[in-house]
Amino acid sequence: MVKKITIEKISELVAVLMEKGTLLAPVKEVSGHNFAQISDPQKVDLNFYNTIMSPKNAFFPHKEDFVKYKIGKSLAEAEATVLNLKPTFLFGVRPCDVKSFEIMDIHFNAAGIVDPYWRARREATTIFGYAYDLSVPLDSADFYNTLGIYAADPEGSDIFMVKKDKELLLKGITPKGEKLLGELSSLARVSSADENYFEEYIKRGKEYKTRFTCVDAQAIARKLETIFDNVDFWTKMSSACLSCGICTFVCPTCYCFDICDDTMFGKGTRSRVWDACMFTDFTLEASGHNPRTQVYQRLRQKISHKYSYHIRKYGVISCVGCGRCTRHCPVNIDIYSIVEAALKA
Amino acid sequence: MSNNNPYIPMPVQISKIVNEVDTNDIKTFRFTFLNKEDEQNFKYLPGQFAELSIYGKGESPIGIASSPTQQGFVEFTVQRAGAIVPGMVTSALHDMDEGGEIGLRGPLGNSWPIEFLENKNIVVVGGGFAFTTLRSLINYMLHKDNRSRFGEITVIYGARTPGLLLYKDELALWEKRDDIKSVITVDKGDETWKGRQGFVPAVCKEVAPSPKNTVAVICGPPIMIKFTLPVFFDLGFSKDNILTSLEMRMKCGIGKCGRCNVGYKYVCSDGPVFSLAQLEELPRDF
Amino acid sequence: MTDFKKIEENLKKESKRLLEAGDVTVVLAYGKGFDESHPMPYAAKAVADVENIVFNEYCNYNMARYLVRYPQGTKIAIAVKAADSRAVIVLIQEEKVKRENLVILGIPVQGMKNPKTGEIIDSKTTCGMYNPVLYDLLLGEEVHGSKSASPYEVLMEYEKMDKDARWEFWKKELDKCIRCYACRKACPMCYCDPCFIDQSKPKWADKAPQSPGNMMYHLTRFQHLAGRCIDCGECSRACPVGIPLYLFHKKVAKECEEMFKQQAGMSIEDKPVLVDFRVEDSDKILE
Repeated sequence: MVKKITIEKISELVAVLMEKGTLLAPVKEVSGHNFAQISDPQKVDLNFYNTIMSPKNAFFPHKEDFVKYKIGKSLAEAEATVLNLKPTFLFGVRPCDVKSFEIMDIHFNAAGIVDPYWRARREATTIFGYAYDLSVPLDSADFYNTLGIYAADPEGSDIFMVKKDKELLLKGITPKGEKLLGELSSLARVSSADENYFEEYIKRGKEYKTRFTCVDAQAIARKLETIFDNVDFWTKMSSACLSCGICTFVCPTCYCFDICDDTMFGKGTRSRVWDACMFTDFTLEASGHNPRTQVYQRLRQKISHKYSYHIRKYGVISCVGCGRCTRHCPVNIDIYSIVEAALKA
Repeated sequence: MSNNNPYIPMPVQISKIVNEVDTNDIKTFRFTFLNKEDEQNFKYLPGQFAELSIYGKGESPIGIASSPTQQGFVEFTVQRAGAIVPGMVTSALHDMDEGGEIGLRGPLGNSWPIEFLENKNIVVVGGGFAFTTLRSLINYMLHKDNRSRFGEITVIYGARTPGLLLYKDELALWEKRDDIKSVITVDKGDETWKGRQGFVPAVCKEVAPSPKNTVAVICGPPIMIKFTLPVFFDLGFSKDNILTSLEMRMKCGIGKCGRCNVGYKYVCSDGPVFSLAQLEELPRDF
Repeated sequence: MTDFKKIEENLKKESKRLLEAGDVTVVLAYGKGFDESHPMPYAAKAVADVENIVFNEYCNYNMARYLVRYPQGTKIAIAVKAADSRAVIVLIQEEKVKRENLVILGIPVQGMKNPKTGEIIDSKTTCGMYNPVLYDLLLGEEVHGSKSASPYEVLMEYEKMDKDARWEFWKKELDKCIRCYACRKACPMCYCDPCFIDQSKPKWADKAPQSPGNMMYHLTRFQHLAGRCIDCGECSRACPVGIPLYLFHKKVAKECEEMFKQQAGMSIEDKPVLVDFRVEDSDKILE
């Protein structure tokens, strides 16, 4: 079914979702928009291109507590965190970010040992995907077409939303989404004209063209393997790189983490926090040996992981072309240009 | 793992500590499980490792030094790290006494490929501290229930000085057995040392094991590996028949945190055991 | 108004000359990015690389931060704007690089823009100077007659807050920090290896992006830069969540200048303020 709401009245829908459980939606901050847990319905702002940080935080929080412990006490007294999750709604996710969840699912939810935290959060969440606004000019950093994703792809969302002038059209895509949409009685049903508009919008989304290079997963994986030892190439690509961690932290498909014990006054928490292969000491071993002391080695690892190793291991490219890394890199390093250069190298 | 959560360690207790070397910085810790269920579920093979966990300090991935044929306990030989990067966990562990409690997550990683090794002659080559999981493999193969499944077993093990040899009591027992050829060497002997003197690569050349139906299992510091491999290539060993165990910085140990990759393989879950043929396919990123 | 095209021409001309003559092995300048408004830091190593060099109003990068990546003794030509030249001076004072190994190509410029907002960058977020302080050649005409406001004018509002208000202000701002460490990496003076925040013994702060650790990291970094920060504003521009780091750096710089009567990075004859002792130094701390 397809329903609608005027964008001005969005806080009403927000209030309903807040009552049903936890709502994560975009809010306006100093440097842009970011997903946040909503406590004030007025704060939700759908007037954005894309958020600074990706929504992976919803399933893979920046800090996830594992255990609370006390120094000197027996292990049996340590309290493992129990995730008491309320139904969660992730509202306003762009199609490329929705696709990123599928890619991360393979790593956390399917391959080998299942990550219990990711799985619990994923199962508790209903995703409201949100098509890009086709009347707004494209950001030059985006290249999700290269990864086979289009501006209005509904795949992966439970409910998909499309903007029509001053209204928002919502369509149930999965049974989970249909059920929820049915429960949202304050939303009006749409006319068949609106339903057609919705389908047309999805088709028009395919015409909204981002940067595009034909990238075949197996071909790029092989190419990056062959140029691994091309130090000149990687030095050139990484000469500007600061080796900070912004690209990793804003990326929807980066998943490296660290496990830390933080103790104060005899009590502490073991938790996992985001880490980045770009950091200098990421692979520093206790012997003092570090396989990746140079910036070019770390940038090579990042690109090779996303466009080669991940393909060999899981069959898909670990990138959705959302453009965040390029947009927020302090020195404008552009992963799309690097992949293009690699194909030609 | 506890509660089906692979990140939460299970409680174990130190039942015995053996000081292995005269520099006092390598000890073998014997752990018993505090929960019977954990002990029953802890099924491992030689070559695997576990994360030793101390709340407040962190975790450390250590190879399992005992053999699964030894029931009721699990042993780890741990070196106190601190020369260059301070070892939070290993230092804390070294400061503990018998009866101390820590956490354990495991068994993790792949093992020495027992099926692949069956009905073959095995040459085990170890250097210095890297002998721990090799000792597990040797004890496994020597066990009366298993010995007949393997051909001739040769062990070549060297340390810098006699005081730095691990498992001295067991080495002495192996020398007396006739179902294992034991060649122990030191780089530099002392007044009491009556055994061989010589670097491991040179001793391998002397012993010259035949490559026929034989697999070489080699673990050691990078410098030893660098000079030992050519000896085995010259002897005619193919890369499929030379196995080794890699070390990388690890955190989760279960292939999730992305830290320990060499190419597309995670050393903690696709390894740490690799054949040389497998390593050749991977980028030289370790 | 600054003629960006002319400066670009001169930059390319001089880089070509220096590389051809073998006077330097690398020229640290600016190069093409994925589009016009996104140039990148660029290291030209061969004459053929020179054609990729650009200079426009978005070339804000402080190239001094790449100096420490090259082994001591490497002959380097570096393109610097006003604040960048001060950074080079601080690195010379701290003996990270020798004056005789550098060819400093000074770029006097007014009208640099922040690519994220399109606003002109001025003394509110940087030192506000237009002309390089140290150089071997100037690639354009010095900017005269334009009076820029004092770099500490922006502190007037900030200084109205009392101690408690300032603590709350910074707690709120630093709560946003995601610990990406771009501020540290963008700064030419943050060259310590290992950085204090990466050490585990002692563990100065925890890794999680939360208040206690965030405060510890930033407040310590501000202190480590006392008397060294030359107000280029790169840290604040690099920050993805918009923390106004420049406010704290300016405040510390102002206090340092008052106490020690020396501005950071103005002369290679100066000694670093926290390393040098003079009898007439301020005793304010003892009051």
